[in-house]
Amino acid sequence: MSTYVYGITARSHPALPEGMTGVGEPPLPVRILTAGELAAVVSDSPEGLRPKRRDLLAHQNVLAEAGAGGCVLPMRFGSVADDDAAVTQVLTERAEHYQERLRELDGKVEYNVKATHVEDAVLHQVMAENAELRSLAEANRRSGGGNYDDKIRLGEMVAHAVKNKEAEDAAEVHGALAPAAAAVSVGPESTGWLVNVSFLVDRDTAEHFLAAVEQVRAGHPHLDLRVNGPLPPYSFVEPGPAEPAGSTAGAGTGAQ
Amino acid sequence: MTVVPAQQTGGGGGSSGLYDVLELVLDRGLVIDAFVRVSLVGIEILKIDVRVVVASVDTYLRFAEACNRLDLEAGPRKSPGLPDLVGEITESGAHGKSKGALSGAAETISDAFKQGRGESEGEGQSRPRARKTTTRTRRKEEQE
Repeated sequence: MSTYVYGITARSHPALPEGMTGVGEPPLPVRILTAGELAAVVSDSPEGLRPKRRDLLAHQNVLAEAGAGGCVLPMRFGSVADDDAAVTQVLTERAEHYQERLRELDGKVEYNVKATHVEDAVLHQVMAENAELRSLAEANRRSGGGNYDDKIRLGEMVAHAVKNKEAEDAAEVHGALAPAAAAVSVGPESTGWLVNVSFLVDRDTAEHFLAAVEQVRAGHPHLDLRVNGPLPPYSFVEPGPAEPAGSTAGAGTGAQ
Repeated sequence: MTVVPAQQTGGGGGSSGLYDVLELVLDRGLVIDAFVRVSLVGIEILKIDVRVVVASVDTYLRFAEACNRLDLEAGPRKSPGLPDLVGEITESGAHGKSKGALSGAAETISDAFKQGRGESEGEGQSRPRARKTTTRTRRKEEQE
């Protein structure tokens, strides 16, 4: 029976999520494996595990529960060891490294911030800032929407202005929130969010961070800002810049 | 087109749920080379939101249309603090009757004209004006 691994934490973690249920249908019970000062949050691995909604949620729920009680290094979804012994062997072999990461991330949580434009509002704004756009749009309106070329010309200019606005807004959000965080990890850009950034925040001063978010909201009514947290520090488990997203997204590292 | 089922709220401060953390769970987090990872083939997490500005004729046309009805839809949904760039913003729900009667009438005519033309062109560009949010409009287009 192979072993599904949710995360790694300290053996001294005060509230290990033992007895919770995890991935699988029916959900499999969560167990704790220990080695030295470390502990791994695991369950049996279901046959034919796939990234299904239910299992993704189970993974996240177990880690949220464990993270609420103390620092945990979250595994990426779908990490499966041959058996329990393979897990404890890794804990033993790399004990120093994981202990260092746990110390480094102790008391810290991740907040992921995503932003998109509220389209009508951002159109208002780019029009307000650009007289040429305004007159072009007005001319089109007067002539019943404009002919095909008129529309293309206006649309192209608007698209360009909106794109510039995206970059501008992304920099502003980043700049406004980074001072309230201990570390910043920029997520993949290609997802269509104009901002997708994770911030590592001290749990005790999270309200400062959230206050900064509220300030950004108030100052940028054309942004739809979504904040997720506190989360286990998914984006900060390894030191240094996170590896580029996409390298594993479709790579399917299946059975090797 | 693959659309991951997820509630997409237009307003701010919505609920989080799986949608917003999906990419973190699937794409971040600790990877240990001694462990096998389940195959993620078929998951197109990078396509779950297509609200990116793509340089294409379709995008340009869509923006042009959006600009055309911009002042008509400027109503209670507008956030405060936005510049009022158009002089005569019609009251919501009373397109033809509000004070900018002249421009309101012109819009109505032009809109009807556009709709007539849009249908004959079969472009699907013209949308009923009752449709309130462009996001919804686009979602529809994506599904088509």
